[in-house]
Amino acid sequence: MNSSRQHARRTGIALAFSLILSLFFSASVHAQDGKALFKANCSSCHAASEKKGTGPGLKGVLDRIPGGDWKYKWVKNSAALTASGDAYAAKIKAEYNNAAMTAFPQLTNEQIDLILNYAHEGEKTPAPVTATDGGAGTKTEEKASGNTSFMVIIILVLLICLIAILRYTKINLRNAVNEKEGQPQEESMPFLDAVRHWMMNNKRKVALIGLFIFGVLIVKGWYGLQGVGIYATEVKKDKWVGYKPSQPINFSHKIHAGQNGIDCKYCHSTVEKSKNASIPSVNICMNCHKAIGETANPGSKEEIAKIYAAAGYDPNTQTYDRTKEMPVKWNKVHVLPDHVFFSHQQHVKVGKVECETCHGNVKEMTVAEQQRPLTMGWCIDCHRKTNVAMEGNGYYTQLHEKMKEKYKGQKSFTVAQMGGIECARCHY
Amino acid sequence: MANEKTYWKGLSQLSGDNTVTEKHQHEFAEYIPVEQFMGDKATLEQSSTSRRDFLKFLGFSTVAATLAACEAPVTKAVPYVNRPEEITPGVANWYATAFFDGHDYAEVLVKTREGRPIKIEGNELSKVTMGAVNARVHASVLSLYDSNRLKGVTTKGGQSAKWEDADKVIGAKLAASKGIAIVSSTIISPTTKAVIAEFAAKYPNTRHVSYDAVSYSGMLKANRSSFGMAMIPTYRFDKAEVIVSLGADFLANWISPLEHARQYATTRKVGKDKKTMSKHYQFETILSLTGSNADERFPVKPSEMAQVALDILNGTAGKVAADGVKKVVAALEAAKGKALVVAGSNDAALQLVVNEINKKIGAYGTTIDTATPDYTHQGDDNALKTLVEDLNGGKVDTVIFWNSNPVYTAPAALGFDKALAKASLKISFAGIMDETAALCDWVCPDHHYLEAWNDHNPRRGHFSLQQPAINPLFKTRHAQETLLLWAGNKTSYYNYLQNYWRSNFFGMQTAFGDFAQFWNNSVHDGVAQLRPQLVVAEEISQAPPVADTTATNPLSKMLKSGMNLNDFIAFTGGTISLDEAKSQLASRKGGAMEVVFYQKTSIGNGNQAGNPWLQEMPDPISKITWDNYITMHPLDVKEGNFFGMVEGSDKNLMVRFDQMEDELSVAQVAVNGVTVELPVWAQPGQKRGTIGIALGYGRKGAGKAAEGRGANIYPAVALAASGTMNYEAYDAKITKTDKTHKIAATQTHHTLMGRNEDIIHETTLAAYVKDERAGNEPIMLETYKGKTNVEEVNLWNDFERPNHKWALAIDLNSCIGCGACVVSCTAENNVPVVGPDEIRRSREMHWLRIDRYFSSETVKEVEEEKGEMGTKELYRNMENPTFDNPKVVFQPVMCQHCNHAPCETVCPVIATNHSSEGLNQMTYNRCVGTRYCANNCPYKVRRFNWFNYVDYHRFKDFNPSQDEVGRMVLNPDVTVRARGVMEKCSMCVQRIQGGKLEAKKAGVRPADGSIKTACSQSCPTQAIWFGDLNDENSAVAQMEKDGRKFELLEVVGTRPSVFYMTKVWNRDDSSAHV
Repeated sequence: MNSSRQHARRTGIALAFSLILSLFFSASVHAQDGKALFKANCSSCHAASEKKGTGPGLKGVLDRIPGGDWKYKWVKNSAALTASGDAYAAKIKAEYNNAAMTAFPQLTNEQIDLILNYAHEGEKTPAPVTATDGGAGTKTEEKASGNTSFMVIIILVLLICLIAILRYTKINLRNAVNEKEGQPQEESMPFLDAVRHWMMNNKRKVALIGLFIFGVLIVKGWYGLQGVGIYATEVKKDKWVGYKPSQPINFSHKIHAGQNGIDCKYCHSTVEKSKNASIPSVNICMNCHKAIGETANPGSKEEIAKIYAAAGYDPNTQTYDRTKEMPVKWNKVHVLPDHVFFSHQQHVKVGKVECETCHGNVKEMTVAEQQRPLTMGWCIDCHRKTNVAMEGNGYYTQLHEKMKEKYKGQKSFTVAQMGGIECARCHY
Repeated sequence: MANEKTYWKGLSQLSGDNTVTEKHQHEFAEYIPVEQFMGDKATLEQSSTSRRDFLKFLGFSTVAATLAACEAPVTKAVPYVNRPEEITPGVANWYATAFFDGHDYAEVLVKTREGRPIKIEGNELSKVTMGAVNARVHASVLSLYDSNRLKGVTTKGGQSAKWEDADKVIGAKLAASKGIAIVSSTIISPTTKAVIAEFAAKYPNTRHVSYDAVSYSGMLKANRSSFGMAMIPTYRFDKAEVIVSLGADFLANWISPLEHARQYATTRKVGKDKKTMSKHYQFETILSLTGSNADERFPVKPSEMAQVALDILNGTAGKVAADGVKKVVAALEAAKGKALVVAGSNDAALQLVVNEINKKIGAYGTTIDTATPDYTHQGDDNALKTLVEDLNGGKVDTVIFWNSNPVYTAPAALGFDKALAKASLKISFAGIMDETAALCDWVCPDHHYLEAWNDHNPRRGHFSLQQPAINPLFKTRHAQETLLLWAGNKTSYYNYLQNYWRSNFFGMQTAFGDFAQFWNNSVHDGVAQLRPQLVVAEEISQAPPVADTTATNPLSKMLKSGMNLNDFIAFTGGTISLDEAKSQLASRKGGAMEVVFYQKTSIGNGNQAGNPWLQEMPDPISKITWDNYITMHPLDVKEGNFFGMVEGSDKNLMVRFDQMEDELSVAQVAVNGVTVELPVWAQPGQKRGTIGIALGYGRKGAGKAAEGRGANIYPAVALAASGTMNYEAYDAKITKTDKTHKIAATQTHHTLMGRNEDIIHETTLAAYVKDERAGNEPIMLETYKGKTNVEEVNLWNDFERPNHKWALAIDLNSCIGCGACVVSCTAENNVPVVGPDEIRRSREMHWLRIDRYFSSETVKEVEEEKGEMGTKELYRNMENPTFDNPKVVFQPVMCQHCNHAPCETVCPVIATNHSSEGLNQMTYNRCVGTRYCANNCPYKVRRFNWFNYVDYHRFKDFNPSQDEVGRMVLNPDVTVRARGVMEKCSMCVQRIQGGKLEAKKAGVRPADGSIKTACSQSCPTQAIWFGDLNDENSAVAQMEKDGRKFELLEVVGTRPSVFYMTKVWNRDDSSAHV
């Protein structure tokens, strides 16, 4: 009997766990589907916010539309619904310049529910920098991974508390039973002693758990060491590739450098004058955005408002208030260690290297991303392969002759041949 | 002729004491302080930390560290909101400004990075300092970032207050004041003088007292007696063939040392086209920097200096230094019109006699320019005395201190602090809570000079503008603005200054027709040569003396007349007749023990004593850092039984030198009613029966670096009967105490193991004229091929240097050992300050040191000819010189960038290797800290980071980069090194890379001189040259071909990229040794 009870309890726990897990997963799966469907079918006309596009913004849509099958009919064939004389449908059509919404007969009712549920909730936007909250940029500093480990710790603490409470309840209950049955009270052992007691009696389990924790730590530690540069492997090389931190302003290189074709050097104006290319100061943004307060891109108004906030600019009065200036704290994407002295002007102005060589296809990036490893091996590799642009530069004229004499038959020389992989070129 | 001179660095090396030599062979301590670390056994046993606990902690911390390391930190990039037009991030801006602290004057360029001043360099446009900068001016940039500076208005007891409150309270009190005195160090700003005049106009009972800590009143008085006008002329050492100095340390401290050093060096340089040199005679008591550079030096007591001056004037040698006087008289006679005599004394009588000598030798109009008076030292000792009397008498009840600290610097006999206590309102403009400010009711801090506008008029016709290089860091205010405000004028000082220039100086020039152009150009250049309106000397000298402080204040009068206020030095000291002077000098009596109060090359008058760079800089002569001490002749040290020196002959005097190094005996000196206790340092070259004590120590409130260092000797300075401060005392008492004091000297570190013939080459001018390789004969080695020139013996393959071949040439003939390069290098390369404890362990971090060698006189050849000594005795005697007057040679040593570098071959991780441009590269991120390289370096120039100097609390009081404000001075172009790595001179590779890049951008080869290392840039005498040997026309390429070129330890075959030029002495003897 005893064993069967134990068995039952185990099953119960397992069931509860799987239930919770499935709840978690199903919820996220649904949200994912709704978002994907929304993006694929609706987003060209609708926003998942209150913003009006070609069609209405769909946030809170379920609260305003008629109930029942109305939504399915409307989505599958809105023209037919309007033609049937539905009052709400006619009202919407009139509101949006009598344009009919595209029919989506292929969508199932479930899919329509998913979409509308998603849109009703609205898209979660990152914490914005707004005019009223100038310092909000700092709020995004918290790292996602920091959050998860924090959560794990909280869950662990809660679990331990739960176990302690359950155990306390169990002892009390058993004592109550014992009292009733006239049996002696079970001594109330302190929690830690109880744990020790349990550990002494279940050495094998403890060993297994210990081994598991040890294993986790080893793996974690291994990657940790890599993170601080104790060893370098191919893993390390790629570690930063794809590093794409969130930014206080959702600035898109794709829109600016790609679609609008703005020259890199317009914003990164010191690239030919300094070792730094410079992240542009807000006044450079304002050159254009003083006139451009909003674009067709969703969310543009909010993002541009962040520029105004940083510059202390009031678009209504078109005046600057210098006391409200608040520099934007960007998250650096391409980070070189402090002991490396890299000069942009050397590479761009003298070496005529294209920006894309080191920064990748920036024109396609909506969020700035590191696409090259920027490791020393990668630098040196390039220095070994790239020829120095000697022609037409008076600095090199004599040297070029000398080199041609030395390496008979060779006409161009790599950076490495010119001493470009010597330590003190970058480390001092 | 082989050079048989023996060099010794420090007395222990000289005495050949084995224990010391042995100690120095072990540079690193072998004693491992386990006991200290673990504590004594009893405590250890009581401790509850068991081995198992320790292991637990260890395990925990490892895991914690691992977990913490999992996530790389997010780096922020914060651009400007509005990027100022002139700022390009990553590119330095240079601003011309001027430095004047009442002591040193220099026209400088300030390097700023993203708005932070990080380096001071000389302004080459300057006609006064000619681009020279000394250690103190270099270090002034660090004083800007002193967290000890006051953050705003402070009242008595350190309470902070508001400016408005201060203005209100003070304004009311000033109106009710019976007499106001503004006590300042010399002010050479015409506009500031106008401000004072305006203040005096509002409060007519105001007087301005110019009081300098180190005074030149004696000269002012003597010149007033000679020329009818209190002024100091400018000196032209560059025009002098014979230079005679009576105790004037003109290369380090006297009047305008930067200019003098530059001028002096031009007369000392020799080359293909110039085979002449000036001849420099020095009479002095202590061994000064200037004296150590003299061709002939004669130690005399301070009281005897008067006799020397009289003898030179009379042309007859007397009892004192007869040999020297004879030589000098003859030399002066032979070089009439091309000679110069200067005296360092503040005694008007002596200065007057020196004036007479200069008249006699035709110096006026040739080597002394009275038409261009120097205004940088206007301190009037008598005015301070009068002020004290008036404070005591109640005539003055309000005192305003401005860049002046008399509570610290005034003679004790004057009783300044007691008199000050009687004043009802005491205000200080001091930037830090110094000794005087601490007694004041209100401290209204002035800006640091790098935050402030001002103008300067260092001498007639020369004007400079001081512009701010940074916004004020704290809530400070222009002192001028404060005074104007109190006078009811609400103009900002910038506007006031500009207006003053518009109405007074714009008309003095013709180059610009538009004031805005003139102003912008003056600000840009930092200097302006203006033709001042002719000031009639008679008119000024007849002006009432300034002590007459009623409405007829001469300044207000001059302001009205539109004259340049600065062309007048208010002086109340009166005059002295020549007969009077002569009789005063003739009757001077000396005592058994006489004292000289001198200024150190590093600390100067002590106003920057809280600057760690200056404290850490070794004194050029004693090589002691961080301390003040008594210098005495070694035999006097023996007679006084310091260090237990009683046994043995004089030759074995220094057997207890090992003790000297760390534990100096402390002596008590009683002089002029003041008693101080200081450690005793045996200084060869000092006159017997004398004591030297440096001013500027024993500060209170000057910052952590200065607190408790040495003792303040200013109170012992006597106000002589003639009304001037006397920086000499003729009767002092010295008594031994039982105490000892640990001192931090770099003196005997880095010995070159007695291989002297390879270290310094020197010769005499006569020999050099005959043969430019004199003293620099090629070293021949015995090889299987027979005798071979060392240059042809090579163990290694040579490598090509196709592009550049960088080299440093160091002319020992011009190097005066001043140490400006040391501080400049510290600033440029983020060299950490390590403090006295570490220096005692030979762990100083300076990348560049200046070796100072004393030479002795026993000549091997002569003794061998005599045949009286056995070999052993001969060598022993060669190490034993007379202590009276050793010759001194300075040699700057940095990484020699050997082309066959011994360090490179032993590095197990190839962290140090050679570049194709001839640089020895040190890669910190690759270094694992084996220190093999340092052990294998024959020059001992590598420095190991024993600690994390930027974080470890032990260095909190020393290293400025531990300070939140102090670290702003760091150069962002140079890595701050971590613990456990080796570092050394990089030949300023960041500047080389920058210079090359500029050339590449312009599409030309870098011009010779366009790239300068920090040391070569900052050398006041241009002794260090940097350049490209592959550029045939470069200065270094020319110097390399010169007959004087030699390499340090050439026989080792390291083929350095740094080379030296033979030192040439202008001495009578046929040999270099004297």
